[in-house]
Formats: sequence, C-alpha cells, structure tokens
Amino acid sequence: MFRFVLRRLIITVPMVFVVVSLTWGLIRLAPGTFYSQERPIPAAVIQNIRAKYGLDQPWYVQYGKVIANTARGDFGISLRYLGQPVNEILWTALPVSATLGLLAYLLALAVGVVSGTIAALRQNSGVDYSSMAAAMVGISVPNFVLGPLLVLLFSLTLFWLPPARWEGFSVNLIMPVLTLAAVYMAYIARLTRAGMLEVLRSNYVRTARAKGLTDRQVLVRHALRGGLLPVLSFSGPALAYLVTGTVVVERIFALPGLGNYFINANLNRDEPLIIGIVAFLSILILVFNLLVDVAYGFIDPRVRY
Amino acid sequence: MRMGFVIARGVIAAVTVSVAAGCTVSSASPYFGAVDPPEGQQLRYISGAEPESLDPPQSSGQPEARIQFAFFDGLTDFHPRTSQPIPSMAERWEALRNNTEYVFHLRENLRWSNGRPITANDFVYSLRRALTPELGSRSAYMAYDIEYAQAFNEGGAFVRNKATGAFLADSESPDHRLVRPGQSTVTSNQELVPVKAEDIGVEAVDDRTLRIRLMRPIPFLAGLLTHQFFRPVPRDAIERYGDAWTRPGNIVTSGPFTLQTWRPYDRIVGVRNPYFWDADRVKLDRITFYPIEEQTTMMNLYKAGEVDAVLNHTPPAAWVDSLRGKKDYVDMPEAAIEFYTFNTKKPPMNDVRVRKAFNAAVDKAALAHFKRTAKPLTAFTPEGIFPGYPQPKGDPFDPARAKKLLVEAGYGNSRGEFDPSKFPLVNVELSYNTGENNKAIAEFVQAQWRQNLGLVISIKNIEWRTYMDVKSKLEYKGMGRMGWIGDYMDPFSFLALYSTPGGDNGTGWFDRKYVALLDAANREADPQKRYEMLAAAEKVILDNQPIIPLMTMATNFVKKPYVKGMFGNPQDLYSWKFVYIEHDRSKWDVEDPDPVTR
Repeated sequence: MFRFVLRRLIITVPMVFVVVSLTWGLIRLAPGTFYSQERPIPAAVIQNIRAKYGLDQPWYVQYGKVIANTARGDFGISLRYLGQPVNEILWTALPVSATLGLLAYLLALAVGVVSGTIAALRQNSGVDYSSMAAAMVGISVPNFVLGPLLVLLFSLTLFWLPPARWEGFSVNLIMPVLTLAAVYMAYIARLTRAGMLEVLRSNYVRTARAKGLTDRQVLVRHALRGGLLPVLSFSGPALAYLVTGTVVVERIFALPGLGNYFINANLNRDEPLIIGIVAFLSILILVFNLLVDVAYGFIDPRVRY
Repeated sequence: MRMGFVIARGVIAAVTVSVAAGCTVSSASPYFGAVDPPEGQQLRYISGAEPESLDPPQSSGQPEARIQFAFFDGLTDFHPRTSQPIPSMAERWEALRNNTEYVFHLRENLRWSNGRPITANDFVYSLRRALTPELGSRSAYMAYDIEYAQAFNEGGAFVRNKATGAFLADSESPDHRLVRPGQSTVTSNQELVPVKAEDIGVEAVDDRTLRIRLMRPIPFLAGLLTHQFFRPVPRDAIERYGDAWTRPGNIVTSGPFTLQTWRPYDRIVGVRNPYFWDADRVKLDRITFYPIEEQTTMMNLYKAGEVDAVLNHTPPAAWVDSLRGKKDYVDMPEAAIEFYTFNTKKPPMNDVRVRKAFNAAVDKAALAHFKRTAKPLTAFTPEGIFPGYPQPKGDPFDPARAKKLLVEAGYGNSRGEFDPSKFPLVNVELSYNTGENNKAIAEFVQAQWRQNLGLVISIKNIEWRTYMDVKSKLEYKGMGRMGWIGDYMDPFSFLALYSTPGGDNGTGWFDRKYVALLDAANREADPQKRYEMLAAAEKVILDNQPIIPLMTMATNFVKKPYVKGMFGNPQDLYSWKFVYIEHDRSKWDVEDPDPVTR
C-alpha cells in the first residue's frame, strides 16, 4: 500500500513536467502575444516589452526558466496583471473555486446517492421513473441555461436571492452551487442506481440476506460498498474539475475563482499564468485520482495493492 | 485537451447566456428594475474587464482608465458632458511658439493622499518614468510629440562632433539631429550620444510651473493630457515598493479617492481622499468598481438594484428597443467609429475602383438601423462629435455606380455589364475578430454585397490576438474589421491612424501628401482654419478609399435615476468627482445642473 502510493507520487513528477512542456510549446504555437492590441505599438516599444519579460532570449533559456520555476513551485509574475505573482493569484482564487466546488460535490453526492439508491431498491416503480427522469433533465440542461433560469426566477421575479457576486460564505452561493451540482447530481444518481442494481443481484448480497441480516444491514454494510464503486471512480476527476474549473458558473455569477483566470490567461497569452494553472490542475487531477485508487482499497475488499 | 474543452464551454456560455435571460425587460415601471438608492453617498459601478494594472502609464484600456481616474488626477481633466479639457491640477496654461511649447501653472494646494505636496517635479519624474524603455509601456506613443520623448523611449541617440563637442543640428527635430537605433550614419569624427531621460522636453521651472516643449505643433495638447498616461505617480511609493506600489496599503494617490480594497475579479473600493485639491466638490464617500465581463450578469445585477450604473455598451442589442423607453437608459453619440479596412497590397483590392465599388454597395443607413444605437457614416471621423469641424462626405450608397466601377476595373462581360463570375472571389474575404456584434455586422454587410453586387464574400472570424497579428502583418485578404475610439477630442486622433507607413495602419495605404496636409494643419494657429485643413486631409482618405466607413458608434448604458453628474459623453469616460447620489426623488428625472460650475 505505502509502496503503491509512493510509486504513484513519484510518477506524478515527470507527468507534471511533460504537461508543462506541452503547454509551453502550445502557447508558442498560438499566434499573437500578450501585448497585441488594436493601437499600433512602435517597434521600439515592442523591443522594450520583450526585453522586460526576457522574450528576446533564445527559446532554450526561456524554456529552462519555465522548468526551473515549475521545479521551485514558483510560477513567476503574470504578464497581464502587472506585478502580480502567479502563485498569489492561484492562492486568492482557489478558495473561491474550492468552496463552490466542494459544496456542489457534497450536494451532488448526498442527493445523487440517496435518490439513486431509492430508485434501485424500488426498481420500475414511480419513484424510480421520476427520479431517473429528473436525472435525465439534469444531465441534458446545460449549466449556462440552468444558471440564468435560476436567476430569472429567484432574483428577478421573486427577489429572494442576489443575482451574482462573491460575498464569502453567504446566500450568494445557493444558486451557483445548485447550478454547478445539477449535472453531477444526475450522474451520481444514475451511477448509483446502476451500481446498486448490479450489486443487489450479486451472490454476496444473497449470502448476507441468507445469514438473516435485516434489509437495512444488508444495504448499509454490504450493498452500498459495492454499489458505490462507480461513483467513487467518477469522483476523482469530477472533484478535480469542480474544485478548479467552474468557468461557466463563475462567469454567470461573477465569482472571482480560477475559471475566469484560466479563460482569460489563454486569451491574453499570459504564459506564466497559463503554465501555473495547468501545472496546478494536473497535480490536482493526479492527486485526486490517487486518492480514489487508495479509497478503493478501503471500500472494495477485492482490491489489494 | 481539457483546456480546449473549458474554453469552448466559456464561449458557448457567453453566447447563450444573453439569449437565455434576454426576456426579462418588464414594461410597467419607467425604470429598469429596482430604484432604491444605496445608503449615504456611495456608488457601485461595473467597470468591465479586470484591470491589468492601476499604474496609470502601464495600461491602455478604457476599463483601466475609468478606475484610474478615481485615484489619479491630471494637469487637465475632461468636461463630464462634452469631454472637452478643463483645468484640473493646472489652474491655467499658455500655448507658446505656435503650439510647440506650453507652460502649465499648478494649483497651490496640490497634495498626495499621504499629505505630501505635489510639485512640478512630480510631473517631470512621472513623464520620464512613463517613457523609460524598461517600463515597456504600450501607451508610450501617446507622448511621442513631446520633445525627444520618442527618441528616449526608442533608444535613439544624438550626433556630436568629437572635436568640438557640438551637437549636430537638424531641421526635422527642434535642434539636435536624431539617430534611431540601428541607423548608424556617423562619420569618423562624430560620435553617438544616447538620448537620456533628462533630454525629454519637460521641465519644472519652479515648484508650480511646468514647461512642456514639443517636437511639432500640437494644438490639442490640453485634451491629450487628460489621458492616464500623463497623470503623475508617487515617486516615494514606487521607489519603495516597485511593481507592488499599486497594492492597497502601498499606494499613494492624487485623485478624489484612495484605494481601500482590491480583490481581483471581485471588487476595487475607493474611499474619499481628504487631501484631494478639489475635495470640497467630491460628494461620494465611497466608490466600488466591480470587474465583470458577462453582459447579462451586469444587467441582472443592475436590475436587482445591486449596482447603480454599468459601463458603456453593456445592454445586449436585443434589449435596446425595450430599454429605449426607460428613463435610466443613456444613449449618446460617441467618439468612436466602426469600419472595414482593405488590404490594399493584394489584388483585387489594390485597385481603388474595386475598393470604391465595395464601399458604394453597402447601405450604411440600413446597417445603422439594424444596429439600433449607431449612426451611418460615410467619412472617416465620427459624425457630430467635433463642433465646427467641416467633415467631408464620402461616397453615397449607389449599387449601380458600384457595378459600373467593377466593369471599369475589368470585371465586365461583352455587353459591358458587371459579371460576378469574372470576379476573383477566392482572393477576397471579410475577416473579423470573434464577437457576437462583429459577426452580426459582417453578416449584414455580406448580405448587402450579395444583394447589390451578386458576390458572395465569405466571412471569417479570428480570435482577437491572432487577428491583431494577421491585421498588422497585412496577412488578410480582402477586408478586415476595425473599430477606433478617439484618444482625445480632436479629429486628429482619428486622422493620425494613417500618418504612419508600414503594416501598423492595417491597410498598407500610405501617402506622403496626406501626412504633409496633417502637419500643415497642426501648424495653423486659427482653430477653424486648422479644422478645414484637417477636413481636406480626410478627403484624401476618402478619395483613396483604403477603408469602408460603417458607423459612428453610440454610448449606451444604464444608470439609476438617483446617480447624478454622470453623463453619456463622446469619450465614455467619467470624472468621478462630479458624480453623486441624489436621495430627493423629485430631482431624479430633471436635467442635471451644469456639473462644472455647480
């Protein structure tokens, strides 16, 4: 187990460097620069700018700097937001995205698992059909439609909730979290239902029943552990995505999270910021996937490391 | 890859959100949404994109300018209604030597927000710093008319005789001959002396007198100086904190407010600066800027009464008809134009007849009607912005003449009629930078050409920064979209666009005769005569038709009826010291008193 985790952590390091190198190369392929603008810039001013940011140096020097920065975990200064260190931007924006993402994940998990389990237990009943129909709607309606609809209803018609903006941990979070959670809620409900249906028919559940356990004990101690495995696999990437990249919801609700930076860093060709965010994201995804794999060992007795 | 996925979603969202919530304009109230003023004197304003920086010379956009004007004052400010320059830190000034030298007299009670006095030396320091090559300011060209400013910024040099130590004179510059970097034209008994910051034509005569010398006559200098590039910055704070000087806690300001909070992508809060020279006039105790880019989100916040005003061009086009009747909707002509450029270096657009044909085949009145807020434009300067300017008229809409011109250019059949099949369509397309509005206009113009010429021109959208690149290198074929906003209130701000050769003007068209006309106009002392000379120069553009003028743009935004002293003006910039919250409902819908003499 320990060796497994260690091995995976060690693999993470070269993977992050591969991702950073690819990103660096891709930025170079994109036309335009961070200083392109509608107003003509005299050639000499462009020279000044390129000298200031070291863009006049050969590519291997620039690449070496990027790799060295990544190794130190300090991604340098943003090209777009003058004088703002990339690390500082990441640490200011992350709590917003993380709060939003974690709340959305917890909500999706709670609603999804409960409704999925009930649907599986009462297969082909009215409850099953209605909850799965609701899940289908949740998957099909994109968040850029759901968000504005919620705003229209709760902010502009009923005047219950503010339409946008970050005010810390407050009622402002209700609509963004709902919007973000909807799709995940639906996926988790469907995954839970499918997983539970399979497990409920399996031999070990029949054995548990034969031992004379109550329905409740069978469900909680045996069935759920197996039935939730698909949800667990889904959770790794989903959580990484939710915590870091909630672009659409952040824009609709004007929240100062990482998503805005991610989009704008690319549009602005802000190389240090792009690389910082990409490196950070890839580390998070790798770590979350690792956590999921470790969790398998605890939940599924068949898994051994 | 993930990155692509996320970007695609962002773009889809930007497009779809405005559709999804576009139906929320109700008609019962005379206002759009809630009209409960905030407590006391505070303004909550949506300022657009997250600012690049609060360092005045280091940013170039309007979203930054609007925020910086709350914190930094200039020698001159602009009239909130007309955008014309008015005295600010300078109480008066004189233009000398045919508009090539100006003397500014500073007010006596000028102070930084830490209580230290602001003197003429602060202006000298700030301008020298702004032009330092190492600062890499993209707005440095704003100051290139100041003596040797361009040479210093570009790393140029003077030529000196080694033996006598005397500088070589020159007719092109005020006294010394200039050599640009890379142009080595000195003989063995001469040497190059790099231009230093001290050589720039700005000088503190005494603590309250500033002299600015220019390379060439600039009659509109007072207007130019309202730009943030020229606003003084605090030397102490910059030397102590470097790039971090604009952070709350480090920053020292000179304008009506000081910076209290700056949370990126969230808010920037300014509070009253008691040391501001005109503090008695300032009524707002607090001003909050929210950087938001999503149009629908802004309108939602406005409607719910969470903000008091939004930046220009916020109402989505589909809402304009229903907003027009509302008392909080502002719609005024703007010192901005929308036009298409031709790549005059590539056939068939290297033929002026073809260019004229494509221009004459576009019904601009119909386009303006389609756009709702704009006015049709046939010339190159915006219409109705510069009082007294005898703007020339460009070619009118005339499809028959357009076809005739194309026949003359060699695209006719044996009966002398225009034959679309002969036209090299593969060499012509219309490119624009990605954006809903740009796309709608491109499709409209495309339909016009199809209808009036029988030519189906393909349209192509290109992502912004890629587009800038394609444009300046003249890599596009046919036509390209462009917009231009005046930097200062003078036709020259537009006409100067084609005063430089090379790819920067985006058309490849350059005419020395045109530049000579502009120079002569700026040497003219009589303002009306000068306007006539500028108009003659504008006529040269229209005769050569390197562009298709489309529209004079309009400011359009919403502000609550209780926000007073904030006007739709040609430059879309606001001088925040004039803005206040009117709690007396009886004064809401009446004309604001004159803001400057109030």
